[in-house]
Amino acid sequence: MPIYFSEHEVVLPGQLLSDNGKRSGEGTYTLGGKIYAAQIGFATIKNNKVTVIAFKAAYKPMPGDRVIGIISDVRPNGFEVDLGRHLTGIIRIPDREEVKSMKLKVGDVVYVKIRESGLSGVIIDRGSRIRKIESGLLIQLHPSKIPRLVGRRGSMINVIKKLTGCDILVGKNGYVVVNGPSPESEFAAMKAIRMIEREAHTSGLTERIERYLRELLGK
Amino acid sequence: MLKPERLIDESGVRVDGRRPDELRPIKMEVGILDKSDGSAYVEFGGTKVVAAVFGPREAHPRHLALPDRAILNCRYHMTSFSVEERKPLGMTRREVELSKVIREALETVTFLEEFPRASIDVYIEVVQADGGTRTTGLTAASLALADAGIPMADLVAAVAVGKVDGQLILDLCDVEDKYGEADMPVAMAPRFNSIVLLQLNGRMTVDEFKRGLALAQKGIAEIYRLQREALKKKFSEFTPAEE
Repeated sequence: MPIYFSEHEVVLPGQLLSDNGKRSGEGTYTLGGKIYAAQIGFATIKNNKVTVIAFKAAYKPMPGDRVIGIISDVRPNGFEVDLGRHLTGIIRIPDREEVKSMKLKVGDVVYVKIRESGLSGVIIDRGSRIRKIESGLLIQLHPSKIPRLVGRRGSMINVIKKLTGCDILVGKNGYVVVNGPSPESEFAAMKAIRMIEREAHTSGLTERIERYLRELLGK
Repeated sequence: MLKPERLIDESGVRVDGRRPDELRPIKMEVGILDKSDGSAYVEFGGTKVVAAVFGPREAHPRHLALPDRAILNCRYHMTSFSVEERKPLGMTRREVELSKVIREALETVTFLEEFPRASIDVYIEVVQADGGTRTTGLTAASLALADAGIPMADLVAAVAVGKVDGQLILDLCDVEDKYGEADMPVAMAPRFNSIVLLQLNGRMTVDEFKRGLALAQKGIAEIYRLQREALKKKFSEFTPAEE
């Protein structure tokens, strides 16, 4: 298949990427059998598909994603969960008694899995546990920074967890909960997360975060 | 401002010293604001415009949200100090109209169906007006949308052509707009050569219209190149994430 970009080239909306319209992946669109970029990002081939890894993009819920949300409504047949920005998830529970027994109130923070997302809205999986988060710091990041916060196979997040001793829950929708043994460690973790948010596009960030945290905690 | 004796002299030099087919000095910068999702600043000579994009975010009021796609809100506004005589606050009839035509131009290139029930809000603020504010605003808005990561088919580039003293000119300034014979703003998605906005004030013959459109296309090609350059410049420092 003829392609018109080099690996990890910065592409812009409207840029022609390939002549084979059948291999259009995320961040692209097809017109007249050709693939064009729809967003600013790095063009690459992933799973035999031409994709654009966008620098900045809104979160698109996918089945199986683990997200953190805030209960925004309690109804007889379930709950409504605010997933940040424009998204609202729905937890459907046919049994009224079960809704009551779950003891979730408006404002409670929950860690859930997405079952389905489409025109009928974002449906939350009830089969896997709906975990209520009792304490911690809730931080909101731009969803496009989440892959950087986690790092390759969790390398970045593990550095923060190890050095601060905090438990960190990451929702793909951009919400992060930090739960630590002391306020100092929680604040250190939060500062590191904010630093990742600011410098997400730079290289060698994991080492810098490690140094920064050691300095902050006096280790 | 008073009417100059002539808008173009016999050697083809305009009031501000440009040739008939010459653009004004253009400056573009992307990502100038922190609080918005995307932003851009564009300058065409004395016309200075800031555009900011928010979203996709929850649509307000909620009953306006559409089940199958996002709504695009657009507000074109001139600051009270953008013109010589203070422009009263609030939206004038003209600003409401321009907001609508700019919104319709942007709707043709953005993939709104990606974000059902959401809204994307585009704010265009004219800081200084010297002719061609709608085209400059549209150019800035499309940069801000791309900066915000909204999926788009193409960028939108816009410029006006006009007629002064019987001659076709590109990229009108305020005086040429006020005292000229015709003013025709054109916006295009250059990749597909499709026109997304076309208005005409004044009179042109069919032949002049055709030549004017060709002239606009030439200007748009140059503006499109500058837009791409501005976007590339902002994102050039990015390195692939260690995923």
